[in-house]
Amino acid sequence: MDMGIIKVTINGQQITTESGKTILEVIHDHKIDRIPTLCHDKRIEPDTSCFICVVEVEGIQKLIPSCSTMIQDNMVIYTNNERVRSSRKTALELLFSNHYADCIGPCIDNCPAHVDAQGYIALISARKYRDAIRLVKENNPLPLSIGRICVRDCEAACRRAIVDQPVGINYLKRYIADLEGENKWTPALKEKKNQKVAVIGGGPGGLTCAYYLILEGYEVTIFEKLPELGGMLRYGIPEYRLPKKILDAEINWITGLGIKVQTGVEFGKQISIKSLQDAGFNALFIAVGAHRASKMRVEGENDTEGVIPGIDFLREVILKGVPAIQGKVAIVGGGNTAIDAARTALRCGVDEVKIIYRRSRNEMPAHSEEIEAAQNEGVEINFLTLPKSIIRDGKTLKAIECLKMKLEDAGPGERPKPVPIPGSEFILDCDFLISAIGQQIESSSLTGEKDLKLESWGSVVVDQKTMETSIPGVFAGGDVVTGAYTAISAIAQGKQAACSIDDYLKNGQTGRGNGKYLSFKHYFGEIPSRELERITKSDRITMPEIPLAIRKKTFREVETGLTDEQSCIESERCLECGCSEYYDCALRKLADEFDLDISDYLGETRKYEVDTRHPFILLDPNKCINCGRCTRTCSEILKVASMGFVYRGFKAIVKPAMEKPLLDTNCISCGNCIDTCPTGAITEKFPFKVLGTLPKENRETICNFCSIGCKINYKVINDDIVYVSNSTEGIKDSHNKGYLCMKGRFGHRYLMNGNKVQSATIRKNGKPEQVDSDKAIDHAAKRIKEIVDQHGPQSVALFCSPKLPNEQLYLLQKFGRSGLGTNNIASIDTLVNETALIDLDDSLGITSSTVTMDDFQKADLLVVVNGDLSEENLIMELKIKEAQKNGTKLILINSSEIKLTKFADLWIDSRKGTNTVLMNAIIQQVIERNQYDETSIRSTVEGLEELKKMIAMFRKEEACDIAEIDEEKFDTLVDLLNNPSSNIIFIYNLDSRKEKTKNDLKAIGNYLLLTNRFSRRNNGLMLLRDYSNSAGHLDMGVDPDHLPGYVKFFEREEIKRIEQMWNTDLERVFLPTDIKKELMEGKIKAVLIFGEDPLACLDTARWFKNMEFLLVHDSFYTDTARRAEVVLPAPSFIEDRGTYTNCERRLQESIPVIYPNNMNEGWETISKLASCFNGGFGYESIKAIFSEMCTINRMYREGKPNSVLVNPVILGKFFTRNKKPNFAIIDYDLKTINPLKTSFSYSEMFFRKNIKSNLFH
Amino acid sequence: MEIKVGLGTCGISAGGDLVYKALKKTVREKNLDIPVKETGCMGMCYEEVLVEVVNEKESFLYAKVTADRVERIVDQHIVNKRPVEEWIVRSNTLSLQEDFFNKQNRIVLRNCGVIDPTSIEEYIDRDGYQAVQQIIEELTPDEVITMVMNSGLRGRGGGGFPTGLKWKFARESEGDKKYIICNADEGDPGAFMDRSVLEGDPHAVLEGMMIAAYAIGSDEAYVYVRAEYPLAIKRLRLAIEQCEKKRFLGEGIFGSDLDFRIKIKEGAGAFVCGEETALIASIEGKRGVPRLRPPFPAVKGLWGKPTNINNVETYANIPWIIRNGADQYAALGTKKSKGTKVFALAGKIARSGLAEVPMGITINEIVYEIGGGVKEGREFKAVQMGGPSGGCIPASMGDLKIDYDEITQTGAIMGSGGLIVLDNTTCMVDLAKFFLNFTQNESCGKCTFCRIGTKRMLEILERITAGEGKEHDIELLEELAQKIKNSSLCGLGQTAPNPVLTTIKYFREEYEAHIHEKRCPAHSCAALLTYSIIPEKCTGCTLCAIKCPVNCISGEKKELHTIDQEACIKCGQCYDVCKFEAVEKY
Repeated sequence: MDMGIIKVTINGQQITTESGKTILEVIHDHKIDRIPTLCHDKRIEPDTSCFICVVEVEGIQKLIPSCSTMIQDNMVIYTNNERVRSSRKTALELLFSNHYADCIGPCIDNCPAHVDAQGYIALISARKYRDAIRLVKENNPLPLSIGRICVRDCEAACRRAIVDQPVGINYLKRYIADLEGENKWTPALKEKKNQKVAVIGGGPGGLTCAYYLILEGYEVTIFEKLPELGGMLRYGIPEYRLPKKILDAEINWITGLGIKVQTGVEFGKQISIKSLQDAGFNALFIAVGAHRASKMRVEGENDTEGVIPGIDFLREVILKGVPAIQGKVAIVGGGNTAIDAARTALRCGVDEVKIIYRRSRNEMPAHSEEIEAAQNEGVEINFLTLPKSIIRDGKTLKAIECLKMKLEDAGPGERPKPVPIPGSEFILDCDFLISAIGQQIESSSLTGEKDLKLESWGSVVVDQKTMETSIPGVFAGGDVVTGAYTAISAIAQGKQAACSIDDYLKNGQTGRGNGKYLSFKHYFGEIPSRELERITKSDRITMPEIPLAIRKKTFREVETGLTDEQSCIESERCLECGCSEYYDCALRKLADEFDLDISDYLGETRKYEVDTRHPFILLDPNKCINCGRCTRTCSEILKVASMGFVYRGFKAIVKPAMEKPLLDTNCISCGNCIDTCPTGAITEKFPFKVLGTLPKENRETICNFCSIGCKINYKVINDDIVYVSNSTEGIKDSHNKGYLCMKGRFGHRYLMNGNKVQSATIRKNGKPEQVDSDKAIDHAAKRIKEIVDQHGPQSVALFCSPKLPNEQLYLLQKFGRSGLGTNNIASIDTLVNETALIDLDDSLGITSSTVTMDDFQKADLLVVVNGDLSEENLIMELKIKEAQKNGTKLILINSSEIKLTKFADLWIDSRKGTNTVLMNAIIQQVIERNQYDETSIRSTVEGLEELKKMIAMFRKEEACDIAEIDEEKFDTLVDLLNNPSSNIIFIYNLDSRKEKTKNDLKAIGNYLLLTNRFSRRNNGLMLLRDYSNSAGHLDMGVDPDHLPGYVKFFEREEIKRIEQMWNTDLERVFLPTDIKKELMEGKIKAVLIFGEDPLACLDTARWFKNMEFLLVHDSFYTDTARRAEVVLPAPSFIEDRGTYTNCERRLQESIPVIYPNNMNEGWETISKLASCFNGGFGYESIKAIFSEMCTINRMYREGKPNSVLVNPVILGKFFTRNKKPNFAIIDYDLKTINPLKTSFSYSEMFFRKNIKSNLFH
Repeated sequence: MEIKVGLGTCGISAGGDLVYKALKKTVREKNLDIPVKETGCMGMCYEEVLVEVVNEKESFLYAKVTADRVERIVDQHIVNKRPVEEWIVRSNTLSLQEDFFNKQNRIVLRNCGVIDPTSIEEYIDRDGYQAVQQIIEELTPDEVITMVMNSGLRGRGGGGFPTGLKWKFARESEGDKKYIICNADEGDPGAFMDRSVLEGDPHAVLEGMMIAAYAIGSDEAYVYVRAEYPLAIKRLRLAIEQCEKKRFLGEGIFGSDLDFRIKIKEGAGAFVCGEETALIASIEGKRGVPRLRPPFPAVKGLWGKPTNINNVETYANIPWIIRNGADQYAALGTKKSKGTKVFALAGKIARSGLAEVPMGITINEIVYEIGGGVKEGREFKAVQMGGPSGGCIPASMGDLKIDYDEITQTGAIMGSGGLIVLDNTTCMVDLAKFFLNFTQNESCGKCTFCRIGTKRMLEILERITAGEGKEHDIELLEELAQKIKNSSLCGLGQTAPNPVLTTIKYFREEYEAHIHEKRCPAHSCAALLTYSIIPEKCTGCTLCAIKCPVNCISGEKKELHTIDQEACIKCGQCYDVCKFEAVEKY
């Protein structure tokens, strides 16, 4: 493609750009418009299926998919005109018309206040009660009251009801509200504003509005007619359901935030809109409720003694205590007030209570649990009965005449109509009649306000979205707007009014964005029974109650609340309907931008079962939009192809290959499909409940699992729940392009429920005792000093994990050498690996990579020796596969078949343990065929003659015989390798036990030296390591044989320089030592272990038999920590910070994803410990350590985070004794060491045990 | 003298095999030294089984031959030299009222029904493989391309892109390897032109491909043929083997230093694989899903190499053009549409079959003069051209000339040559539903609009024909149709709404009748029919009441019967069984 410069016009703007790019790329690059797309992932070839990214191009009739159309000279493009928007909108509507899924739980949607029920249930199930109540209070500041008396629209919508019974959502809310007790979670109040708001009416609506306004910093005054705040909560709900003590606590908590309260002030009498405005109130919220009882329309109801309106009855009980009510009581009505009145009357000690209701049980609006409770307490309900007239003696009630009713169908969606049965009259004796058929608004208080528009039935007219009345700045909500309705609805309106008032006072106007489109399963008809059959039935928890006998006689609260165990069981019943991708779903995000309406397109819908069979990956094909990003990622990037499309037309859908369970395909469980999926069709199967609409934060850091150091993005909820999601845009530009392997993607899971070290411990009398960290450090220092005094400094050894960041490693070796005066500094891993880790030191002065993964692209030949990249370093394998697309060839040298074998151009299946022989035979061929520049090599590299001598024994025939490969294959290999014009990179895994033999890295080094590939671009060596900081570990000098910067014993000047900077006499400390031997011989008495676990492995555990003191600094109670005298808590890798050096020598920064409570960062603990021995460790910050480290370490002088440190070898610098490269002369007898029996490396063990084992159970 | 039996799929399905066996047996039993040969489809599918008796000068074509008739034909005609005239439909010596071929001009079908397709010699005898030898010896590839360009030949697969230009692009594309593909994935309902050519004259297609290969510089080719065409595959395979034996294919073809190989790839029956990029994906072993063009296959095709794709009919034209010259081809047809076009006549037409006509002929000429008008004397309502991607042209436009651009103007397309004749019993909404159902099932499911949009259109059509149409349904259909056409990747989606759009365009009142009056003017949509008994005609025979599956017809014997409209399920059995035409539907 020509890369010419072209001119195009986009949205009327002239742009000069390069050709060879897609329209989308140009528009995004020039930031002209944010063209949305669902099917495009810039890391894979465009596929063009969603047609969201269409643009209009002048002269072309069709709309053009911008993601895959190349931009051309003189194109005139419109990215966002009416036609384009209309097409995008229809595309989204079509996608949503076939999207059988819930964006959020129906419980949240059905709650008038949209309290995130799914979210707080999830938090309850995780025992995060405080977070749960915080979430409730985002929309409902009265959880104690609402948790008792709510009508529970959430439960009415609960999907669980179709399976067995709805989740006891309100019970759970009450549980966490009760749990708070005095110590209520209170949000931070914003700075005070100089604006006043009057809230008229102290019921739930008024209280809510006042609460959210005070949080915003407004000055709020509540005006209440009655003696106390609470409205219907106080005066309409009996004590046994909502104890006034509880209500008081809740109200006091709210008013205690700084709200002024004036009681006994009646709207329409003492105050009016004008009087309040005159008094300086900038905005008003009217929530005076509906307190007037409705009439039965029976003659005599107004003037008969013994006939009491229900709501008045309840109010009297609250205001004056038990009223004079006795004998037989009849109650008319079927709502909660009727039940409340009946149960209250019963508690007043009357003889009998009968409820008269004109419809049947099914139609009764009262809460069914309340009806049941009333019946249990002895209330009799006469269904299908209507009071016809009052029979009285003088003015005193004697009885009522009733009529029997029958129900008639009133048409679809309507409640059946009660119709009197002629001649069915009967007499019901009663002394008191309580009419509880509803309440009305006290309109007399409102009619005085001439400008306030009212409905004909007396309620205040408001804008339904903003709650603003006909008077600007005056808002209304609750029963005064809705007529007698629910408390939660009043709360919803109270909050909405508070938002609007805030808007009004800030911007002078109101009006919030219109509602988002959300998908719900019930839009698509019935939920298939097979979907529900899979759910194990479990009964809803029964709310514990006080015994019936006590109940009837007292006003004590009937329901006593759930126990801790009950709340956990009940929270587990949640079906987690809402989508875990609520915030990240690209489809849903787009829905916000368009006013979608799918009603025209409702028809057949795919309804699939969610596939939960994979241990980590959840497949919900209902949410799939057929974009194919997962299948293309799986087949084009990973070359695994475990998923694909099946069927055609409308039925076409992505499924695992052959529609098998994903795990039974060749899926490698890397989870990259999850990250590329734009919707919730492929998600992670979380070890915790899906958290409703709780927001998640992205925190980008680096992966800690292997030496590639991939960029990784953690999603953090509530600052403590963590999972990985590499779906953010920026991460796609990282060196790993955002791709991860199974370790990175799922490996962090063990952090969530592992056995973590919470505090420092000191072992006393054989038992660890929790102590303060500083105390533990003092104790450790004292013990170490004792040992040093007795046995000398060399009796102390430090073992430091190559998983620790550079700063900690630098600090630890400095602590050892300058603080303690010991050279016993290493990692267990180094000791196990013996000399291999520094195999190139004699030849080059440093054993490290000389190329980056980007160099693979320009290499002609990649040779992988010793390593199973698919298992150990998947991302490097992807880099290889990417290079292969450009024609790079791949050679594998390994005895056994691995996953990468089928992608290899040549597989040398040499016998295990013979790779050194093979490499030497290749070198022999290079020399024999004279395919190297002898003159130049002779002058630059030492030891050519010795090499020739040594190599003479490796004749092709013998070598092939030993390696058991046929000579023809060997010839092919040699022909490929010995092409001097080819760019060749060797990839060698230093830590993998798979194919390793003792000297093969030395032999590879010799080959690369001989063919001069260390200094040529796109040639050289990629040394793979197991741990995230294996490279930094050696660079930092955590090794008895060298100081930071690979300074060796013979480099006197460098040692002196470091000595001066550390202010230490290194001459007596930095001496050759064999730590393993000294350990075994018992010369080492004090062992300090940082992040390693040698006692977990029998092989290494025996080295530690003779120690007297063991200190462990770790995040987990490892086997080693269990035996330690002192354990210091370390943050886990997602909680700590520092720099890491990856296998390419890329210096990268790791940041804490979450912050543990009361725990020092790793470097702080080490500094504190070291400071007990020497003054040079008082660092202010980790930055100070980094800068000291860069000054000391000659290889890090130019070190900047996120840049590649150049290997000095490339610059022609060799830290060898003669400052020149040397051929390694291997003392060789054609014997090979036996590869270790374990087929995976040491570092893999943990991962396999904790994560991978899940795949096979 | 020889006997030929039409053994295309049409002939075989009419019982050609039995006739062929009977002829062989009879000839053998009577010790006659007359070869009985098989040949391809002769075009008159409505007259199958066809048997032709030919000698040097004369030819007699017997129609509707059955095994029973074989004895008499052999006895009377072969033995006694007296043709059985009442069974003959066509002859060069007898004067017969037969005009099926009158307006035809057979270039593509020049050998179909004439030669034995299993014999390369017969093809060679009719100047076969001369064109390819001629160009290899005499013409440069550019000269060949110029010749094809001058002929004015346009792609017969439906798109109508100039073939010569396509070749030129492929020739000019850089690449060490180039491919030739023959698209034989004929999938339109009612279309069988390509099948007949492959069955009747496979060598013509192979020769066309060889010429194309020489022109663009390719050495490897694929014929992508659907597996549902077993006979075509068998004959094609045989033809390739014969060519390889004669060194027409393989290394150093026709003694030159050129190599050329042809492989067959059997398609699994996905309609969308007729789309060239999907076809390529399918050959590559991937799911048959289209991709965006450009890049066109001429630049980046099979395995990413420059590739030329033409369909069967296009290739079959090529040898004729080379031999007879571009001018002679260009002399046929209209200004912008040259040569001939093969049509598969189907539907409510008297003579269904295969007809090759010069471009520029009118629809009426095809329907009435070649096709013999509408069956059973019903009223000619419209023709449906271009299959599921095409549209309906009403009878009122019958004088329209067959020409790529003229047809496109109407909203229909030339397509690959399916031509379905509709009469007044066809409901146009139902017809649109039929084709949309087809495309909906055959959509690959990749693009949003094609996958879900056509499904929603289909659902709207379903509700209209069920009498549940809504007020703005027509507008909704039109709006969705435009969006689907504008925002789909391949031809399938871009043209899927055409049947709906053209029927709305020309027959809007039918849609309106369904929606507003709940009435199907063609009396075809079951849900909208009312059956009732005409009192004057009812004899009270009780037959309808006996047949009624839901017992909704009542009436005493010999008395007037009545249908309970509430209970009637509109199955139409009463209408069908009444001998007195006393049941009417409206």
